[in-house]
Amino acid sequence: MFAFYAREAWRSFHQHRGLATTGVLALTAALTLSGVFLLLAHNAEIALRLIGDRRELVAYLRDDVTSADRDTLIARLNDLYGTVTYVSKDQAWEEFKQEIGNDPLLEGVNENPLPASLRVKLRPELLNAAAMDEAAKQVKEFPEVEDVRYGAEWVQRLDELSGAIGRAAVGVGAVVGLAILFILYNTIRLSVMARRPQVEIMSRLGAADRFIATPFVLEAVAQALFASLLALGALFALQQAVASRLAAIVFFSPLWIAGFLGATVALAWFAASLALSRVLRAVGP
Amino acid sequence: MMITFEQVTKRYGERLALDSVSWGMDEGECVVFLGPSGSGKTTLLRLITHETSPSAGIVTVGTFRGSRLSRARRALLRRTLGIVYEDFRLLTDRSVFENVALAVRIAGLHADVDVTPRVEVALDEVGLSRLSAALPSELSFGEKQRAAIARAIVNRPAVVLADEPTGALEPRSAHEVLALLGRIHHEGSALLVATTREEVADAPPVAVEPQAARPGPDAPSSATAPVA
Repeated sequence: MFAFYAREAWRSFHQHRGLATTGVLALTAALTLSGVFLLLAHNAEIALRLIGDRRELVAYLRDDVTSADRDTLIARLNDLYGTVTYVSKDQAWEEFKQEIGNDPLLEGVNENPLPASLRVKLRPELLNAAAMDEAAKQVKEFPEVEDVRYGAEWVQRLDELSGAIGRAAVGVGAVVGLAILFILYNTIRLSVMARRPQVEIMSRLGAADRFIATPFVLEAVAQALFASLLALGALFALQQAVASRLAAIVFFSPLWIAGFLGATVALAWFAASLALSRVLRAVGP
Repeated sequence: MMITFEQVTKRYGERLALDSVSWGMDEGECVVFLGPSGSGKTTLLRLITHETSPSAGIVTVGTFRGSRLSRARRALLRRTLGIVYEDFRLLTDRSVFENVALAVRIAGLHADVDVTPRVEVALDEVGLSRLSAALPSELSFGEKQRAAIARAIVNRPAVVLADEPTGALEPRSAHEVLALLGRIHHEGSALLVATTREEVADAPPVAVEPQAARPGPDAPSSATAPVA
């Protein structure tokens, strides 16, 4: 039966190819525009993840902490927050000197003033401002810890930026989703109305709504799939051009591509079903 | 009773098409509604197929009873009937074969592999096998009507409804179509014909016997009798 429905969908597409082509082109334009934004959001997400991975919490130790207490603390922090690296006073001083360079002022420092520290590379679920703030407060409660730093301000900003991109993606997605619904709804509605005599005859012969609707739904899904592939092709060409001339941006991962195609097909199915449920009632008894 | 009308009235605005008609038809019967244009014959058929609802009264077709069936029930009811329209209602973009096959697919009772043999048998019965690949636009009126009859009988419905089956046909084609309908009835299907032509009512050897309990001014004439 699927072969029959597919043939009917092709017949409808072929008979109203002008209307169908207009629909596909309009969909391709909408999907390409949304794709440009998604591509930017995708690359921003990758960049933020790379920066986010570098977020760490530094616990400065008191000078009188014994190595046994320190090891116990490292084990506790490993269990609770993430991977812990111990930086001794000497290592801290060496790092400091390397960052400063051979400054003559350093020669006047007789004693190493830097404390030993534990650098905690936090688990992924703790990589946000609220969780890091809470973790910092808890770590500071340990008696071996003198102070805790984690760059609260820039972590907060990073979170805000990430949230803004996410909200913008949702907003653009909603607008484009509505545009796709509108285009497909009207394309299918016009297609059904153009075939109204045929639809009426089928209805009078006892065709169930599903029998009449399925070819139109398949047609809409095929149009959306075709438009999605055209849009992805255009976006790939754009990404290649930008990557070779302006900035090293990456294309969508296979998961994003699958999501893009899946979301478009789901929208097409929904729009066509909505259009048909209304149009078939208007076609006649 | 296969089809029953109980005190059925149908109005189109102020115009009365059927006035409290009570009538019934059994399995295997042949009924001809004879009357002038506008006498309510087509309305009666449309009430049976639920293309319109009665203003009052109850129409029962088999197990389908009531004036307002759901869309799904209405489709199911229509699949139990074979309907021949005056204007044929063939899909113009499909061949004769595809038009008849569509009715088989709509019925949904047969596997894909059984569609072709069934359609071939139906086309053979109406003598259109050699024109199975033709489009409706390539057929004469008589051939179109035979294609519509093939579509109506391909699922072997218990009852065939024919609205003015000879309306657009010249005498020879009309005679062929009537003979075909008579044969279908003879093979077991109940037949309900609505016509303005007396020769149609006379064509099957029927005894004319008014059936409507209280026909209104525009109610159809009716005749019923088995075809010999």
